[in-house]
Amino acid sequence: MAEVQATPQGVKQPKPFDAEQEIAKLWAKCQGAQDEIRRAFYSSRAAAIAAAGDDADANAIALNAWQFRGHDIAKSYFPRINLTKGSLAEQVGQLLVGSWRSQGAVVKLVKSENPDEVFVEWTRCPWPTAAKNYGAPMAEDVAGCDLMLQTAVADVALFIGRKINIETTKAIPRGEGKCVRRIWLEK
Amino acid sequence: MTRTIFDWDYSQYPGAKKYPHVFSPIQIGDLIVPNRIKYAATEDNLNSHDGYVTDEDVAYIRARAKGVAGGICTMQGVYMDERRYGQGYVGQAAAWDDKFVPGLKRLADAIHEERAVANYQLMHCGRVGGVETPFCEGPSAMPQRLRLFKPVYEMSTEEVEISIQQHIDAARRGIEAGFDMMEISGIVGYLISNFLSAYTNRRTDRFGGDVYGRCTFMTDIIKGVRKEIGPDIPLIIRICAWEQLDDVGGNTQEESMIVYQEAEKAGVDSISVTVGWQESIVPVISRDIDFGSWLYQAERAKQHINIPVSMAYRLFHADMADKAIADGKIDYWENCRPQIADPLMPLKYLEGREEDIRWCVACNVCLARLFRDAPMTCYINPLCAHEHDPDYYPQAAKTKKTVWVVGGGPAGLECASIASERGHEVHVFEKRDKLGGTIIDAGLAPYNDDELYRFIEFNKAQCDKHGVEFHLGEEVTAEMIEDELPDTVVLATGSTVRKPTFFGGDRDNVITLSDALYETKPVGDNVVIWGNKKPAIGTALALAKRGKKVTLVGTERTVGKDINPSFRWRYNIFLRQNGVVSYNDCDVEQVMDGQAILVTYDGHRVPVKCDTVVLGERDPNPALEQAVQDNSIELYQIGDAVVPRGLSGATHDGYKTGLRI
Repeated sequence: MAEVQATPQGVKQPKPFDAEQEIAKLWAKCQGAQDEIRRAFYSSRAAAIAAAGDDADANAIALNAWQFRGHDIAKSYFPRINLTKGSLAEQVGQLLVGSWRSQGAVVKLVKSENPDEVFVEWTRCPWPTAAKNYGAPMAEDVAGCDLMLQTAVADVALFIGRKINIETTKAIPRGEGKCVRRIWLEK
Repeated sequence: MTRTIFDWDYSQYPGAKKYPHVFSPIQIGDLIVPNRIKYAATEDNLNSHDGYVTDEDVAYIRARAKGVAGGICTMQGVYMDERRYGQGYVGQAAAWDDKFVPGLKRLADAIHEERAVANYQLMHCGRVGGVETPFCEGPSAMPQRLRLFKPVYEMSTEEVEISIQQHIDAARRGIEAGFDMMEISGIVGYLISNFLSAYTNRRTDRFGGDVYGRCTFMTDIIKGVRKEIGPDIPLIIRICAWEQLDDVGGNTQEESMIVYQEAEKAGVDSISVTVGWQESIVPVISRDIDFGSWLYQAERAKQHINIPVSMAYRLFHADMADKAIADGKIDYWENCRPQIADPLMPLKYLEGREEDIRWCVACNVCLARLFRDAPMTCYINPLCAHEHDPDYYPQAAKTKKTVWVVGGGPAGLECASIASERGHEVHVFEKRDKLGGTIIDAGLAPYNDDELYRFIEFNKAQCDKHGVEFHLGEEVTAEMIEDELPDTVVLATGSTVRKPTFFGGDRDNVITLSDALYETKPVGDNVVIWGNKKPAIGTALALAKRGKKVTLVGTERTVGKDINPSFRWRYNIFLRQNGVVSYNDCDVEQVMDGQAILVTYDGHRVPVKCDTVVLGERDPNPALEQAVQDNSIELYQIGDAVVPRGLSGATHDGYKTGLRI
């Protein structure tokens, strides 16, 4: 075995470790990445609408984009679903919570007495703000988000062969202060 | 009325006495097969991309046919639809038209020339098919769990009926080509398994519904094929005894046994018992699964049906198969990967040449290659898929040379074995007192990694056979080379520990992998391993099993980048299960008392608890290179001495260099 080398020469001695500074920098970068997700979505949306021409239905194109996102989100959920492990409604709800937390939302799972029903509650979501910043109509944001979630849940339902539903009972873009989605399994 | 294809008399062979059950005849349908060995089909991606059989595939199959010593040799499954939705592999053979019959006949003839029973296989790949089309087809448009596979198009009732007829037509072509047996593949996610499974079949027509309804596609094919090929051709089906899809609502094990009974009723003569799908989250055939783990499934199948059953999964050795047959758990022995690694494996058992068997290490690189549209290869058999190429076989050396192989690891031994077989005078120098190099250390990792050492034993036996002289405990020096002046020096000196590039690399608690594995230096409770490739992972798992809290830190973006993807997922799970945390795209910046500072690729710093740092990065060992060159001696460098890699790189380097000297 080769002998272990001494401290490398000619390299500047690292500064003392400052945990607060490191965490602050990482956090800023995480938030930057979250913003980048929305920037990428809205710039792609704008490109698709521009490419479609003046006569195209911009709303339909945007909704299509949201639907694609729904399909893709579902794909990322398939390997995580496990019918042998607890409430399916809770698993789906928890997956949504995880997705949106990573995008910067303040969101939590609220269980009900019925194991086949859960609520996902968003008290803050960066997407309506992004819609505003990028000039997308708020109506599109509401409809797009609903369509995306319905698509994702429908794909999950198809994947595991169970009837799962999702409905929006409250929406931030409608001025209701928070988004609430009810997820439930049909018997 | 029974019949045989070829007569074999095993009475004079030692293997027949040692494994009397394996080398006894079996009746499948009306056919008497002289022994109980079957080479199970595997794709090899060696055929043309439009489905024609090639010289490469014929040579590949011929080698396996020779190996079964009169038993059954199965060709790779054919797809049978012109639209190519059934094609799951770019080099899969086709049988959707009579124009493919001459090519298929070449395969049957090759098998017959080796006096083996030629088995033909039908394989529509279903939801893992459509490799050249935008989507694949299945009973229901079920989304794919793995992004690797194409979106599924739901077949209409008419299309299902057409597919049944395509199976029947393709079966006829197999018989016209001269095959003796017919096999239908309904495993791992292929079309028949898609129809059988509650997970993928949501149809409401006569091909869906309860398990009996879901069997309709399979039983219609069996009945149709049986009618087409007649009663004399044995008909086998491969189906899952357990899909391992409980987490997504797949068939229960009880339903699978109903499937078996329906297949028997429909007219098959034998069932090959399999376990798991490609979409299963449970491992089935990787090295970490103990030998014989799935035999209970075959035994269960035998309790439900009255026709012979066979099994392949993790049943690598003749003694296991012989006992399983004797115990009534299986009727005959299938093997696939062991004959990819050594096509002649069963024949060597028969001839009493077990020391000559090149053992499969269950790494699954063969599968990983196929899924990525690459031709078949084998981790430890460099000749695999090159059987057609005369340049890949050892030829007698034109000039006999004195060859010094420096290093008795896998690369050196493989090279020594081949060079000596060609007639060179070969000396292997190993500074340790044991052969094996890094494989000795690798074998200390858990999850059956000790199986890797069988490769060293194999090569040692080959070297002994060809008169290689071993110099154990002897380190070659520049002076020795200058004094003795061998004709050729092969530097198989392996790797060296990469010198630390972080601050504190000279501390006493910074130790090597070998120090950690053999505990020749103290190992604290909190260990940081510098490196995130295979040697680091194996050491991390070994230390974690000893109760250490281990953190892997490596500059590769993913952990285990040097492990093939069909096995890497297993290591990811092992790491998680053993609480090993992995920082990828990271480096160690500084080691201090009780902690190490890590730095991400973009400069963020993370402190982790650390009592010991283990150096798990490697560099090529350049030792003796200059000395050899200074003396104008023919020089080769192989294995980790060129670039630190795994056993496969070492073996392939060693083999090819052994051919070249």
